[in-house]
Parts: sequence; C-alpha cells; structure tokens
Amino acid sequence: MKSREQEYKEIFIAEALEYFDALNRHISTLEKQPDDEQTLAEIFRLLHNMKANSKAIGYLQISDVSHKLETAFSLIRNKELAFSDEVVTVLFDGIDLLGELITNIDSNQEAEPDPVLLRNLDIIVENLSDSAIELAKVQKYNTSKNLSLSDLVYIQIKKLDHLMNLVGELMIDRDRILSISKDMGNEELKTVSSHLYRITEDLQYSVMDARLVNIGSLFNKFPRIVRDIAAAEKKEVDLELIGQDIQIDRNILQIMTDSLLHLVRNAVTHGLETPAEREKKEKPRMGHLTLSAKSDRENVLIELADDGKGMDFKLIKRTAVERHLITADAAEGLTEAEVLSFLFEPGFSTAKEVTEFSGRGVGLDVVKNAIDSIGGRLMVKSEKGKGTTFSMQLPTSIAVKGALLFEVDEIFYAIPLIHTEQVIALDKDELHEVGDVMIADLKGEAITVVYLHELLNTDEHQMRLGDKSRLKGQVQNIVVVSYNNRKIGLIVDKLYRQQDIVVKPMSKPLDRIDLYGGVTLLGTGKVCLVLDVPATTRYFMNRRQAQEHV
Amino acid sequence: MKRILIVDDSFYMRTLLKNMLSDAGYEVVGEAPNGQTALELAKETKPDLITLDVILPDNTGLDVLKGIKAEQPDMKVIIVSAVGQEVIVNEAMEYGAKSYIVKPFSEEKVLEVVSKVLAED
Amino acid sequence: MAKQTQTADKTAEKPAENDKAAAMDAPAAEGKKAAEPQPVKEEMVHLIVFKLGAEYYAIKIEQVKEVNITPATTRMPRTPHFVKGVANIRGDIIAIIDLEDRFNIRPAPLLDGLNPDLTYTLVIEAKGYSIGVTVKEMPQSLNLPISKIDKAPSFLQDVNISENFIEGLARTGDRLIIVLDMHKILTQDEVRELPG
Repeated sequence: MKSREQEYKEIFIAEALEYFDALNRHISTLEKQPDDEQTLAEIFRLLHNMKANSKAIGYLQISDVSHKLETAFSLIRNKELAFSDEVVTVLFDGIDLLGELITNIDSNQEAEPDPVLLRNLDIIVENLSDSAIELAKVQKYNTSKNLSLSDLVYIQIKKLDHLMNLVGELMIDRDRILSISKDMGNEELKTVSSHLYRITEDLQYSVMDARLVNIGSLFNKFPRIVRDIAAAEKKEVDLELIGQDIQIDRNILQIMTDSLLHLVRNAVTHGLETPAEREKKEKPRMGHLTLSAKSDRENVLIELADDGKGMDFKLIKRTAVERHLITADAAEGLTEAEVLSFLFEPGFSTAKEVTEFSGRGVGLDVVKNAIDSIGGRLMVKSEKGKGTTFSMQLPTSIAVKGALLFEVDEIFYAIPLIHTEQVIALDKDELHEVGDVMIADLKGEAITVVYLHELLNTDEHQMRLGDKSRLKGQVQNIVVVSYNNRKIGLIVDKLYRQQDIVVKPMSKPLDRIDLYGGVTLLGTGKVCLVLDVPATTRYFMNRRQAQEHV
Repeated sequence: MKRILIVDDSFYMRTLLKNMLSDAGYEVVGEAPNGQTALELAKETKPDLITLDVILPDNTGLDVLKGIKAEQPDMKVIIVSAVGQEVIVNEAMEYGAKSYIVKPFSEEKVLEVVSKVLAED
Repeated sequence: MAKQTQTADKTAEKPAENDKAAAMDAPAAEGKKAAEPQPVKEEMVHLIVFKLGAEYYAIKIEQVKEVNITPATTRMPRTPHFVKGVANIRGDIIAIIDLEDRFNIRPAPLLDGLNPDLTYTLVIEAKGYSIGVTVKEMPQSLNLPISKIDKAPSFLQDVNISENFIEGLARTGDRLIIVLDMHKILTQDEVRELPG
C-alpha cells in the first residue's frame, strides 16, 4: 500500500513537471510577444500554483524560487519591469532551476541553488534592474540538457512490461487452444475458447492502453529547446506543434526521445537558413518548423518538417562516391529517394561544421538504428530550397504486431506489416534477369526481386540471386517490403494470412543474429521466425556485392 | 451528510482538500479544475458549500463567484487564496463569500472554517 | 519401443541409473558398483553422462535443468552449422545446438536398434537463459567421489575440445569420461562463432 504522503508526493511531482513544461512553452511565446496578456496571466497562475503546492508539501526551495519568479512576472504584468534581454535570461535560468529542483526531489540529492542566480532574481524582484547594476552572469549548471519524460503513469513501466509479456504468453496459449478446439469439434469447448479469445483480446488492449502516454509529454519540451538552439545559432524559428494528444507506448516514446532531439537540432542548425539568407531568397525571415503526430489503428506517424534549404543532392552523391559507397557512374542514375538513403549510412554526414548543438559526431544512422530497433520506419523527403521532412512511422505497441505469415522451404516466417508495401503474384515470365539480380516491373516501377529460398538456404558460395531457373513453379508469390527508401520483392513459397503476433525476443546466444527480429508461436504450436526486414535487406545487398566480386 | 464542491486548478490541491474533507465526514460531490466546470457542477450538484480558488485558468475566481451567486444567491462559498491576495479576498467577501482560507492551510484551519460556515444560517 | 530397448541395454551395460530424479535422491555413497573401497565421508559429484562420437562426456548435474526427448526443431537459416535451430520447450523457445558439430567430433555409427530420429536434449541452464544440447543416446546419471576426477589432465591433445572447456577427466571402471564445463562453452567466445 502506498502511503498518503507518497501519493501526495507523486501527484505533486507529476503536476509540477507539467507546470514546468508549460512554463517553458509560455515563456518562449512571451519572448516573441512580450505584451501577450493571456500568456502572462497563465505564467502567473502556474507559478502561483507551484508556490502554493510546494509550500503545502514542504519543499521550501521550490516555493521560494516560484515566489521570486511570480513576483517578477507580476512586475512585468504591471509594466514595472521591462522584459529586456537580461531579464529574460535570468527568468529562463530561474525556470530551469525550478525544473532541476523538481527533478531532484526523487533523487534525494539536495541541489543547492546557484547563489548568483538567486541574487539576480532578487535584483529583478526588487526592481533595481537599472543600468547601474549589472546582472552577474550565471554559470550554466546544465551544459547538456537531458530530456526526461514526465512519469504521469503511476506504475513502474517495468511492471507494465511484465504484464505485457504475460499477456503475450497468454495470447499464444489462447491461439493454441482455439486451434485444438477446432480440431476436436467439441461445441462446448469451441464456445469457451471463443469467449477466451475475446477476453484475452480485451485484456491485451487494456494493457496496451495502460502503457500509452500523450505524445505532448515529449513535444511540449521542444519550444524551449528550439528557442535555445535558435538563439545560439542566431536564427529565427517558429515551431508549430500538432497532435500533442496522440497517444503512444511510453517505451517507444522514450526510445524516440534522443532521435527527435537530434533531428530537431539538425533542422535548426543545418536545415533552416539565417534570417538574412532567407530574406535574400524571398522567404519569410522566420524559419518554420512543424512537429506533428497523427495515428491510425496500427501506427503513429511523427513528422518533422522544416522550410529550410533542403538537402544538397549533389553534395550527398559526391560524398557517397568519395566514401566508396557507390561508383560515380552508378551515382548519376540514382533517384532522389536513393540518394537520400545514403544519409542513413553509418557516420555519413554532410555537415561542414560541427556546431555546439548539432553534429557532435552523431549521424542520422543512430536515429535510423533507434527506429529500426522498435520496428518502425524512417523516411525522408527533401526539395532543394523548399525544405526537408523526416517521417517516422512507429508501432503503437512493441510486443504485439500485425504481421504477414508465409513459408519458405517448410519453415514458417513472419514479416511485420509496418515493412510490407504490397503482396502480388507474378508469372515467372514477368521477372527479368538483370545483371546479378531479378527485376520485376510493378506499374512502371522497377523493383529488385529476391528468391528467399536462394537467399536463406543456398550455400553462400553457390548463391545465384539473378538465376530464374532456381525458381519453383510458374506463379511466384511476392511480398514487397520497403526499407530505407528501397523496395525489394521477396519471393516466398506459400503465402498465409495476416495476423497479430506476439514477438518473443530470440533467446541467447541467437539474439546476436540480426537476421531475425524474434520468434513467435503459432496456434499449432509451431515456431515461426520473425524476419527482420532491415537486416534481411542488408544481407541481400551484401550477398549481391559478393556475387559481383566473384 | 453535508455536500461540498471543490474548485481549484491544481490537482494536488484538490486531492489535499478532498482527503481532508472526506476524512472529516463530508461528501465531496465534485471537483472542478476551471471556472466553466465550476459553474456547471454548482448547478448540477447543488452542494451545501463550495471552496473556490481565486486564480483559475479560464476565469477569475471573482467572476465564478458572481456567476454562482447570480444563480444560487444563498450558496455558501469559501475563498481559498494565497498570501498577498488580500485585495481579492476582500472583494470576494463583498460579493457574498462567507469566509476564506489562506494557502498553505492546515487541516484544523480548513475544518474549522468549513464547519463554522456550514453551521451558519 | 526403441526407447525401452535402449534403456534396458544401458542399464545392463553401465553402472549408472536411468532415472535422474531417483539418482538425485539416492544417498551419495550408495549404488556405485564401480567404486573402489573409499572413505565414507568423501565428497561426491553427480554427473550426467552422454556420448559424443565414440567418447563419453559428462556435465555436472547442477548445470543441467532437464533431459527431454528432442522436440520438433525449427531450422534457422544463416546460423552456424552447429545450431540445429530453435525448439519450443514448455513455452520457452530455446536454441538447440549439436556439440559433435561444434567440436568437429566424427559421429559414431549408430548402434543397432536405435531410432535415428529419436534424440535427447539436455537443457542447460546458463546465466539468464537456457540452451539445448542434443545427444543421440539417452544420457545416464552417475555419482562418483570427487577424487575420481583428475583436474589437470595432461593427455588431452587428441581431443578436439579446447582444454578451457574441460573441467576434468573422470575414471570409472574401464571408462574415461571427459567432464565439460558448459558455462565456459556458452560464454562470449561461443557467441563470437555466430555471424552478426
């Protein structure tokens, strides 16, 4: 049983962190529109609550700092204090300090507020901020900001993970029972097992639901971050947030945190131009950044769009050639999507300068790996002079995925639907041997096709990926998958249905083999291997190159 | 059992008040985080008493007080405020608030004021 | 049928017990016909004995979780040759490996009357996970005094197995048994054998 004190504390922290995020958002607005009455009133209200709550629970440092900030804002509201640059800096520092004090409540470490900062606040509050008194520079106590998600979920996520795993196990057994009851033909058993089916389904959705958090809990941190990066980069940026109320699995959002931060930094530092450059191009001085989320039944789509200079396709091609990722001749014939896919190669970065916020030696490949690890997809579109958009398609839940089941050489496989584009049946004559691979024409789009049996089961030295004679039968079932802006058709022996599967991680030591994302048990009790599309694609590219060198 | 409506924009404050009041045997019939909800709940639940925070996100506490009094002139309202808001509290008393509590409050103080106001007639 | 025939053979042939559970309950000093006269208090060690190629090998019982008839195994393409695949053992999906393949031990010709499709799997408990090791004949249980295990065998050059993996050499009657340390076999070195 949780004691009431513990409960009060948790509520206080959760609410205080919410206030903290909101304060950051509002003060960024205020910086652009210092006279916005409504924003001022809202900041005042938040600080007021923070003060009262922290006093009630006994966190006196927090109430003291809130009180000083509240006073400062009431002076600003009454036009007794100018919202000057120096004042803004002190206020931002003060809000940061609040955030630190709140975060430290749980870590039990007593953070001593910076005395210079407190003195600065006092100077402002006592309205002495005329030019005679210099506001001392505050040593930045947090040089690299870490993002942490508000723990509004009052249960350890570990426990929810465990619950989710148990539900997964239960679903596997349920499917098994359903399959057995069909075989036995016992009516009573059929009724019971279909009831069991519905209950477990409800249970699954309830547990998944309990793990959902608002995407806003991450998005709302960005106005402040963008403001800080823009200030350091001397850029003017307007950040638009859309879809903060979209819900997503908390662990997936946690994994996305660093990636999103990285993409936003890149967008401000490298994507958007300086105000002067923009004016020269007849664009508005202020760069526009949109961070949006939307969802359908299966996935959440997060998009980050800037209206900056767009990717330099020539430079990317040149770098790719310099890095021996492709020959100069082949580079000429690439589509724009293919050119952009080089961005995700390890260490590939076209940034000329490493600035304080961007770069840092971390490339887009890290973002890509994070998204791959949760079974999502990363796409990029860019137009020179117009801007760049990164799209991240993410599963709503980690454990349960929609998947397509098929068979190759009497082994069952599954591919998560998030990676499948379409399923088609083509006559063998519609496949063409081109160089070392097979190509199919799909409504005008040439797609590389690979015979999975050949790729998976033939001795690597005898592998011939472009040899049609190895195919069995006349009609070929093809699952078109897409990864890193590349589409590949996988020829399978038999196609089965789509179904929700519970992916179990591969047990050691097989977890090192990245060709498989895990395993699942079918209703029949058979083991089904979950193919990892990124790894399969990489393996194919790798074998294809090996063939060329023979 | 006397019925009470709590109006406060902070979830923490509402929880604190709700626990104090229900522990003391009152029935908390509703919690409103903003002025709009406060007006709706006051009409809907017809409580014996309302505790009203003076700073709300959409409305000032004073406006809410006026709104409640316009509909239910006899409604007993206790103002919950912080130090430094004496001006507003005085104004609220003029508009018919029965008493006030200053944050941070002690349990004894809350119960004392509530029972005193409820006993009045 | 095949299994029973085999069991009977083994009982006659070896001074060991078939039932692992029974063996564990049995007092340590009892039932070891092959043992010479010995001090009563000597510390005993309990082994699970199996055959790889023509030789006898053993694992300490603490490292063995259970012994099963090998369940249906799903082959996993593009894994090392000694990985037979994955199998579902009571809802846990574990890797099944073949130590003969792992150490390049030439398989011995199958004894008459043994069903080639029927093999046994020792489920080994490693740190935080389990792994299955297949053997062709039913493993036996053996209790013997710890002094019967030679800790520093100096004549193992002929054996394909790195001496790091060998805990010692046990002597019982006319038999030599190589005692393996499965935990060492299943360390990171082992995993490095896997492509990644």
